[in-house]
Amino acid sequence: EDKSAASKDSAHEGTAKRQEDGAETPKQQLLDIIGTMKVEVSYRKKQLKASESKKQAMKKLEGLDSEGSVPQGITEDTQRGKPLNPELVKAASAVASSLPRNKKQTESELLAQLRRHEETTDKQKKGGTVNIRNVISEMTVKRQSPAQRGARISGRISLQLDEDGPRIRSERLLAQSMDSRRSLEVGKRLNIFTKASTEPEHALKTVSSPTIWDLEFAKEVAAVTAQPPRNGFEEMIQWTKEGILWEFPIDNEVGMEDDAEFHEHIFLEKHLEGFPREGPIRHFMELVVCGLSKNPYLSVKQKVEHIEWFQKYFEEKKELLQEI
Amino acid sequence: MAAAALCWALRVVRQVLPSPCPRQVRSYYVDWRMLRDVKRRKMAYEHADERLRINAIRKNSILPKELQEVADKEIAALPRDSCPVRIRNRCVLTSRPRGVKRRWRVSRIVFRHFADHAQMSGVQRAMW
Repeated sequence: EDKSAASKDSAHEGTAKRQEDGAETPKQQLLDIIGTMKVEVSYRKKQLKASESKKQAMKKLEGLDSEGSVPQGITEDTQRGKPLNPELVKAASAVASSLPRNKKQTESELLAQLRRHEETTDKQKKGGTVNIRNVISEMTVKRQSPAQRGARISGRISLQLDEDGPRIRSERLLAQSMDSRRSLEVGKRLNIFTKASTEPEHALKTVSSPTIWDLEFAKEVAAVTAQPPRNGFEEMIQWTKEGILWEFPIDNEVGMEDDAEFHEHIFLEKHLEGFPREGPIRHFMELVVCGLSKNPYLSVKQKVEHIEWFQKYFEEKKELLQEI
Repeated sequence: MAAAALCWALRVVRQVLPSPCPRQVRSYYVDWRMLRDVKRRKMAYEHADERLRINAIRKNSILPKELQEVADKEIAALPRDSCPVRIRNRCVLTSRPRGVKRRWRVSRIVFRHFADHAQMSGVQRAMW
């Protein structure tokens, strides 16, 4: 079309001039045009819907393509409707031919850029890319109180006394933290970051018992790395590890792991089943059991052992007892 | 695998073995009498339960006397060093058999020595 051709020609002219570092005014004009074009595109991107943007994008494309391809540093994306248009390809090849550099390389680069633009537009249509609107909507304008402003200015200009510094800084920090707290709590998910997949926990490797060599090595390492205590605290820590010093707060039941309930300590009559029901032995054993039930220092196991010893003893002396 | 085993071993070693520190460690007993006293204490600990039980049978008014006589013989048959009566509370540092304060397990001379050098916690020269 004429429009596009004309713009293309002008673009070619402009590029040629730019390459030569020639006359400024047409170059500047061209730059202004490019600048306005860019602004238009970025503004329209947000406003239009996909279908409308397609048509306009096509128009803009043809006008922009020739100009936008020259400064390759542009990161602004244009919206596309179709896959690489043959017209675009033609335009790209024409531009490449106009440039004095390696033609094929430039052509390939231009086409690659076009493809990249395509991908981004597809993504945007699907809604995958970040909508800046959502991001900005949650941000709040930070309002500076006149006191803070005054403080900052005064801080810059005048000498800060040591007392004032931390006070002002703390105020500022408080304000900043307040703002950040607000913005953190409010807002829906933006889906910018992908959740890192939790690595599968390595199954617990069954470690075979360390060999003697491993133990020796470990002992050596411990001996080498152990430093003498630098102060009283470290000395006390060492003593506690060795067992010389108790652990504070003092636990009265250290080393004593009695899981038995009180009834197991007191009602020991069930252990007296092996003894005869009447007679002096039974009488004696009942006294023994009475004494054991009042004993808080022995564990249940020890008490049961006590009674069993007596049982064994009297078993051995049975013949003697029968003579009596 | 090896690293994990080593780490485990290190941890075990740290807990079990005392870390070496330049400190005076007593590796010998002061004299043979102290050694014998130590042996007696060990034996008395081993036979303490038995002695208690046999004595419970002996010092009884319920059980028949024949049984108690048998128990007498049994307790006499136990090794001589197993009775707690043979233990002497000697001084821990000098093995002195007499003049030993029970709370500190040291003889009076050593006690005075340490107290004067302010190495006895809470001990002060009396003055009133």
